[in-house]
Order: sequence, then C-alpha cells, then structure tokens
Amino acid sequence: MLKDITFGQYYESNSLLHRTDPRAKIVLMILLIVFIFLAKNLFALLFATACVGCIALISRVPFRLYIKNMKAILPVLIFTAVINLFYGDGGRILLEVWKLRITTGGIYNSVFMALRIVLLIFMSSVLTYTTTPNDLTDAIESLLSPLKFVGLKGAVHTLAMMMTIALRFIPTLIEEAEKIMNAQKARGADLESGGLVDRVKALIPILIPLLISSVRRAYELAEAMECRCYNGGEGKTRMKQMHLSNTDFLVSAAAIIMCAGIIILNILL
Amino acid sequence: MNDAVKNVSFDINQGEIIGIIGHTGSGKSTLVQHLNGLLKPTEGTVLFENEDIWKNAKEIRKIRSKIGLVFQYPEYQLFEETVFADIAFGPKNMGLSGEELENCVTETASLIGIKEEYLQKSPFDLSGGEKRRVAIAGVMAMRPKVIVFDEPTAGLDPRGREEVMKIISDYRTATNATVIIISHSMEDMAALADRIIVMNKGELVLFDTPEKVFASAEALREIGLDVPIVTRVFAGLRAMGVAVSPNVFTVSQAVEALVQLKEGAADA
Amino acid sequence: MKMENIIEIKKVSYEYTEEERIFAAVKDINLNIERGSFTVILGHNGSGKSTLAKMLNGLKRPTFGDVIIDGINTKDEEKELEIKRKVGMVFQNPDNQLIASIVEEDVAFGPENLGLSPAEIRVRVDDALKSVGMYEFRKSTPHRLSGGQKQRIAIAGIIAMQPDCLVLDEPTAMLDPKGRAEIIDTLIKLNKEKNITVILITHYMEEAEKADRVVVMNDGEIIADGLPAEIFENVSLLKSVGLDVPQTTELLYALKQKGFRVKTNVISIKETAASIAAALGSEEK
Repeated sequence: MLKDITFGQYYESNSLLHRTDPRAKIVLMILLIVFIFLAKNLFALLFATACVGCIALISRVPFRLYIKNMKAILPVLIFTAVINLFYGDGGRILLEVWKLRITTGGIYNSVFMALRIVLLIFMSSVLTYTTTPNDLTDAIESLLSPLKFVGLKGAVHTLAMMMTIALRFIPTLIEEAEKIMNAQKARGADLESGGLVDRVKALIPILIPLLISSVRRAYELAEAMECRCYNGGEGKTRMKQMHLSNTDFLVSAAAIIMCAGIIILNILL
Repeated sequence: MNDAVKNVSFDINQGEIIGIIGHTGSGKSTLVQHLNGLLKPTEGTVLFENEDIWKNAKEIRKIRSKIGLVFQYPEYQLFEETVFADIAFGPKNMGLSGEELENCVTETASLIGIKEEYLQKSPFDLSGGEKRRVAIAGVMAMRPKVIVFDEPTAGLDPRGREEVMKIISDYRTATNATVIIISHSMEDMAALADRIIVMNKGELVLFDTPEKVFASAEALREIGLDVPIVTRVFAGLRAMGVAVSPNVFTVSQAVEALVQLKEGAADA
Repeated sequence: MKMENIIEIKKVSYEYTEEERIFAAVKDINLNIERGSFTVILGHNGSGKSTLAKMLNGLKRPTFGDVIIDGINTKDEEKELEIKRKVGMVFQNPDNQLIASIVEEDVAFGPENLGLSPAEIRVRVDDALKSVGMYEFRKSTPHRLSGGQKQRIAIAGIIAMQPDCLVLDEPTAMLDPKGRAEIIDTLIKLNKEKNITVILITHYMEEAEKADRVVVMNDGEIIADGLPAEIFENVSLLKSVGLDVPQTTELLYALKQKGFRVKTNVISIKETAASIAAALGSEEK
C-alpha cells in the first residue's frame, strides 16, 4: 500500500546487497541494465540471466516478491512480445495470415525482447527491495552533487528536500484523503456510480478540502522549518555520511565481471 | 489480518444518548464507521430499525442519511463556495431540490443558530468554531434519526465546546434523534450519556449506565481510562474518613451531596 | 540573587490590516522571562497568545516596541538564525512540523542546518531523543506513531539545537489525555534536568499547575500574572475570559459560593479532597 511509502518496497534483511552503499547500487544497476541491452546473442543474454538470478539469490528477498513485480508489468511484457513476434526477419515461416507472418526469427526476437524486459524489472526490483526510499533519496542527492560545481547547487539541494518532504507527507495526505472521502460519503456523496463526467465531478468535494489542507500544511511546515534554522541548505551538514567500504568494492568488481562476460560472449559467439 | 473490532454486540434504543469511551486505538472510530455502512463487517450484522443495513448493498447511501456520522475535525471537509451550498450537499445527495432543499437548509441553520447573513458567506472566512458548526449542520441537514459524533469538541476552547454541546442537545430536542458520542472526557460522558460503551483493543468491555460503568474504577484504570475527576475527589474524601457516596460523577451532584452532608452535620 | 532575564518584552504591540482596517493582536505588552523558569501563558483562541509566541523568536516582529532575546533585539536581521537557535518553537499540529520520514533524521534536521559535524549531530540527536523518551523509536517512521509521540519528536528536534528557551504554542490541543500528560511530563523534565526555560501557551488551566508562573492574556493584553496558586484563586476572572477551568476548581468554586470555607487555589485531586475535608472538619467544630 502507498501508505507505507517510507519503506516503499523495502524488504528488511541483512544481505550483502542490503549492506552495499546505495550510490554504488544505483550506478551498478544502471551499468548492468545498459549491458543487458548490449547483449547481442542468446548466449550473452542467457549469461546475463544467470547473473541476474544470482543477484536475486544474494539479495535474500523471497522470489515471490520479484514475481509480484513481474505481474504488474505483464501487459507491457505481452505487448512487447507480440509486437516483436512480427518484426523478425529471416528464419522459417511458420504462419502467415494476411500481411502478417510469424517466422522463427520473430519468435527468437520476441523471446529475446521479453527476457530483456524481465531482467530489467528484476534489476530495478533488487534495488528497491534492498534500499529504503530515504537511502535512495540521499544517494541521488550525493550522485548529483557534482552538478554543484556547474552552478546548480541550489537545484540539487531543492530536489533532495522535495523528495524528502514528499516521502514524509505522502502517507499523511493519503490518510487525509481517505478521511475526507469517508466524511463526504457519510454525507451521501456517490463516488462509485455514474459516467466519467459524474465521477470527476464527484471528486470535487474531496479534492478541494485536500488542496486547502495541503496549503495549510505547507505553510505550517515552512514556519516549522524556519524555526529549525533552515536557510535554503546554506552551510548544511549531514548526520549520515556515506562511505564506500570493502563490500562496495567487492560488489562493484562482481558487477564489472558480469558486464565483461556479456561483452566477451557477444564477441566470441 | 488483525481485527480492528471483534465480536461486538449491543442494542441501542430510539432516543438514547450513548457515550463511547476507550483510549486511542481501541477501535471506537472503526466501530462507528460500521454503523452507517462506511465499513462492512467481515462477520456479523448491523441492524437499523430491525433491518440489516447491508440487506440491499446498493441502497447503502440511504442508510448514511438516516444514520449521520460527524467525523473528528469535520470542518476539514468543507468545500463549497457558500455556507448554504455546503449545508445543502447532504440533502442534495438525498435527492432534495428546489424549495424543499432551500427550506431544509434554512431550517437546519436556524435550528443550530447559524445567522441568515452567514449563509451566503464563504465557509473559509469563518472562525474555527463557526466552521465546525457549519460542518455539523451539513450532517444534521439530512435529518438523520441517529447521529454519531467522533470527538465533536476536539481542539475547541471552552466556549466552542459549550456551543457544540448545545447544538447537539438542540438537535435532539427538535428531532428526538438517537445520539452516539465518542469522547475522551469522562466528565462530559457522566453529565450527558444514558449509557456508556467502553471499548478496549477492539472489544466491548462494558456497556451500562454511567453509575455502573464508573463504579468499576479498577477495570477502567486497567485499560488506561479513569472515572470522572469529581468521583476521584470523592474517593479521596472517603480515604480521609469522610462518609460520601461513590456514585457522584458531576460537579452539581457533588455540591448537592456535600451541602447535604454539611447540613446534616450542623443539625447533629 | 537577581535572576537573569532570557527574554525581555518591552512595550510590544503587533498590528495587522484586514479589509483596510487595522487590528491589534497584541497591545503594549511588557513581560520579562527569567532564565530557567517555567512560564505558562493562558488565553483563549484569539487572545493574542499565538502572535506573542511568534514574536519570541522573530517569526513575527513587533509593530511597536522591542523583544530582546538574551541581549539580542529580534529586529536585528543579521542575528535571525542565532535568535531562532536560542528560542526553539513547537506548534500545535505535530504532523506539520516533522520533515523527514525517519525519526532520527528528522531530529537531525536542525543541527544539520546549524552546520555541525556529523559526530556532534549524532550525539545531539541521541541525547535529544533520550531526553523525550523516544530513543527506542529512532528508526521508526513518524506516521506510525501516536500524536503524543510525534509531538515529543518535534520537541526533540528543537532540543537537538540546544536552545536556551523552548516556546510551545498549544502543543497539546490536538492530543488525547494520554498524549497531553506525556507532553507536560516531558516539559517539566526538560525544565528541571536541562534547565531549559519553558514557555507553554495553552488554554488548559490544569497544565499550569506545576509552572513557576502563570500569565493570563485576553484581547491582546496581559490581565493577570503571578504564581499558579494566586491565579487559580481568581476563578471568576479565568471563566470570564473563556478559559478551561478544571473540574476540581469548578467544584471548589461552587462550594465556596454555597458558604463552604474551602481553599480554592488548588488543582490536584488530592489537594482538592484535602481542602474539602478541612472545610467540613472546621464546620463540625
């Protein structure tokens, strides 16, 4: 449920990947996804699949949770597979209906693309299952910090502050929306029936109070931040310092070997 | 899954004032949301005038106009441009329109003391106490036969609290409605309620008259509640050897009892 | 020994304009707060007590007069941060004061803004959380906590900046009785153990029971100022300005009017019972 956004999809455990620096995890995940898309032949992709499988095992996150995420994108997956089915060139023609023909090449293509997407989802799931949204926010801020040197200092800080406040207030606002919805239902509001226009209209009694209360909250929060000496991030330090440890180097080395493996298989086969 | 409310049974008679007490998280709010069908019981039934409110699920909105529910801090649900329009929201959802609707709104407003010139104002220009009054009017305008309040005086100052309590009793006098109030104030409950429901961890612990409920001081303390302050003062007096009754819950009862005691002593 | 004043309010008025008319929320107030004291400011909604509170750390600046914090005038814009650091402020709605979604990170927000070293922040955060009794919740997320717990986190967030003075604007108004008791106990502890000056603004009279001093405001003015027992003596004044009078006081007051010779300047249940017993006893003689 979105109410628990603080922990997002985070799955509590103490695996190697849980202990890895979130910055390292983000960079390595992006790297691996790029290389998965660079895999040209089936062997390279199967190797990547094996690697991703190992990563998922190391994460100590129950397999069903990965499957759950997969179900959510099932429509996209099927759509991609079907489209690619007809884009295969070469190979034996298996079926021909009107202008559409399915070839062995098409089937190969379709499986190849679907597998890539599955791996992509797996990789991003590993990241979100092993990292709390808070750590992700801090990591993104830290990774973007070089932008400070090109005159975007304020922007990086503002973005990080926005993400922090959003994480903090989304559960509060969802709870509030539910409360208002119930209160209007208690006054006989009909939120379930009618056409599209009716339903959109029925949202007004919920959205207006929610908007008003959000503005009030924002105003009060700004005052509270001012009282806690907030000064737009000028001279701000951080309690939590991120340090790269041996674990991070180990994980990075493993990820680079995986990438190299994909390239070697690409060239050799 | 945890049950927020489990195996609760009780009957409420027409015209009664029922108090519900219990500390935060005891299931009081969940319980009252079952009364008007905002929540559907996973087990058991809720009967209104001897009929299961979920007998015809499509008609549940009709039940909500018969059993009104005023949430905590109801002023946060105001949304219309004028006080009039906001009070009219409920009755309009019930199907009232035109003159009928207009009469309903003006009658409700005058019943609970909202001045006529206020009706065309924006509800957002009113003070906190006035906003709450308008929000309560929005539920009362549906003329519910049972009206449930979840901590109606929370966050108000004494003047505001007095006003809200007066609105509730005015509505009851005018319509003979049944009133159910969730409250943290044992003092208010002692002064108001015919019977009190005590909730703890989702279960109904006690359901009886204030005299009987507040006689179980120990049981109440065990679940983080207490008896009214005056009752505690009288317990203190008894501990000091003054012969006073344990069944005193309100200031006026206490004054009466002590005056009698004093006169008795003077006579003797 | 003369006590040092942490706050001096000199002939302060605050005016605002609404629909082209000028209103005064605070009218020509003089008030000194001694370092290390526990002061309660009582007043109903709209008595000017919140405006006064916001002038104590420069969130609002007086239209006329001066507010001096530990020798610094709040009009000195260059000292703005120093003033906010010295006078910490806690508001009514705990939800709208917490910034981070992990308790300890929220408490760290103030010290981080002060630019302290990570090690120093860690020490202050742990210490602040312990002093409000929330250390074991340091890894929790605020929205799963009770109102009283959230409000204690908000207080810890201020304490971590090591202020001289803590101003709380109706911190208990949205809490249940248990949460209210938690906050009052925490404040008494902080005042006694850490010697933090506490200014508690409220409309609940019983919260003033343990204070060193009670100031009553009405219509932008101070109408009474004294020891709790002195103030509570004057029940009719408190009632006339729309304040919450506890039932013990109400009972004693009613008895007095019926000719009982009771002491009316007590609030606790024990003292009330003793006061009534004494009055009954003297009657028998």
